[in-house]
Amino acid sequence: MGSIVLESAQSQARFRRLVGAELLKLRRRRALVAASLALIVAPMVVSYVVLATLHAANAAKYGPAGGVENLRGALELLTQIGAVAAVLIGVNAGAGDLGAGVFRELVVTGRSRFALFAARIPGGLAFLLPLIVLACAIAATASVALAGSGQAPGAGLLVEYTAWVGLVLTVGFLFALGVSSLLGSRSTSIGVLLAWQLAVAPLLLQSGRLDAVLVAAALRRIEPGGESVAISPLTAILLIALWTIVSLAAGAWRTQTRDA
Amino acid sequence: MVDGLEDDAMSVSYVVETAGLTKRFGDRVAVDSVDLRVPSGSAFGYLGPNGAGKTTLIRMLLGLTGATAGTMRLLGRPVPAERATALAGVGAIVEEPRFHRYLTGRENLAVVAAAREREAHGRIEGALGRVGLAERADERVSAYSLGMRQRLGVARALLADPKLLILDEPTNGLDPAGIHEFRGMIRGLVEEGRTVLLSSHLLDEVEKICDAVAIVDHGRIVMQGSLAELKGERETILIGASDGVRVQALLTGRPAVQSATETPEGIRVTLRPGFPITVEEAAADINRFLVEAGIAVHRLESAHASLEERFLEITSRLGVTA
Repeated sequence: MGSIVLESAQSQARFRRLVGAELLKLRRRRALVAASLALIVAPMVVSYVVLATLHAANAAKYGPAGGVENLRGALELLTQIGAVAAVLIGVNAGAGDLGAGVFRELVVTGRSRFALFAARIPGGLAFLLPLIVLACAIAATASVALAGSGQAPGAGLLVEYTAWVGLVLTVGFLFALGVSSLLGSRSTSIGVLLAWQLAVAPLLLQSGRLDAVLVAAALRRIEPGGESVAISPLTAILLIALWTIVSLAAGAWRTQTRDA
Repeated sequence: MVDGLEDDAMSVSYVVETAGLTKRFGDRVAVDSVDLRVPSGSAFGYLGPNGAGKTTLIRMLLGLTGATAGTMRLLGRPVPAERATALAGVGAIVEEPRFHRYLTGRENLAVVAAAREREAHGRIEGALGRVGLAERADERVSAYSLGMRQRLGVARALLADPKLLILDEPTNGLDPAGIHEFRGMIRGLVEEGRTVLLSSHLLDEVEKICDAVAIVDHGRIVMQGSLAELKGERETILIGASDGVRVQALLTGRPAVQSATETPEGIRVTLRPGFPITVEEAAADINRFLVEAGIAVHRLESAHASLEERFLEITSRLGVTA
């Protein structure tokens, strides 16, 4: 019993070291850090600076920069633009080692390929989630501090919104991680995922005919106070889980079977 | 002495054993029923021309690609069944070592150390020092020369405290001083009790570093054994004489002579294997014969065939028969 516990603790410690290495690889990529800040944190700062400036210039025409409505608008913007950053982070985590030719150097250590793949998930999230929290914190602070005569969001709503933004970007990251691990190429993966996210998915959403199978529709369905989509919340949750699992499973399978 | 060497590598006679190992890419056979045995504690050369299947064999040993047929054992353990345990004691450089170029040398080693056992992280400084990169370890790899990247590759292989080092064309990109230094390092590793499997198409490199050799061509091992065995199988006599062309013509018909070829050093006469006279008796006989034929002989010495001659002899013979 004692040896099993010890073995488990050692195994967890080994996995934590792998996760740390994944985080190191992401946070030392200057271009990725800059792009992530520009696509996740900067839009919140810019949004509220613009709203506050407009309000200061013409308070009669432009309402207070804070409040619930502006918070919703800012966070919807964050899910749109931040999703691009989530794709970039997911692709770098999923195909970075392969692109650099380092994957084979990791395989020859004898470490299981599944562990190498699995460590990318917490490693990437450790990079992405603090940025989301920072962006949401900026939005929350501004929406309360600059609410003026408008309705300031309560703590419950702020938590709901933060969780929703976190979910949207996490799903985007995991999907990108799975697809890029499957395709094995950063450039191809970025092209395919951004084309899907920015062109194909919005068109399909507009038609409304494929809501029952679209992750984007499912995410809209569970948006706090969001527009109504013709699927149940349970279906939405199942849909999100299904697509995430399918993409990750495909990535894990390819990582285990590809020639390194 | 390598930690724990007594437990594993020293307890097995061969650190690499393959039987009938085969790899096919469609119709093409890259590795053809290879039976390879690398003795423990040696520097072993896996020698063959480009495209002979050397890298493919190494990739199979390391689990980078699957075998079509055959069995493998590394450090006495069957792979892929016990791949993780076996590879924990193996360091390797496969083709050109690759790195995350935006990370420093030290960070690149940390990334690989994280995939190994906990002790690997503590070996980073020692490995960097051993390959002479300690002072430049905090520079990004993008600023490294090819030679520095090769040395960093060796440092990465040493993180395993390996009982077996598998090096695929490791001196590519090194300058002459670097190659000399590298040879010394390999011999040092062998003296510590490690085994080095060195794949190369460079005969000179293998001859200067290795104790034993397997010669591979068209995916097949055509000969393996100690360097002395391979080079010493055929005795040769080097002759300096006034008329090289006539000497060749005269000696070609002698019963003890298998071949006589003109080289920059003189006429190299290869004696027929198994002919019942010693090399000294043959030399005396040839000298007498040439002098009686009116040839002025000014040099006559016995010599072993070089590995290069053996290699060319073997591979050209195969080329003719193929």
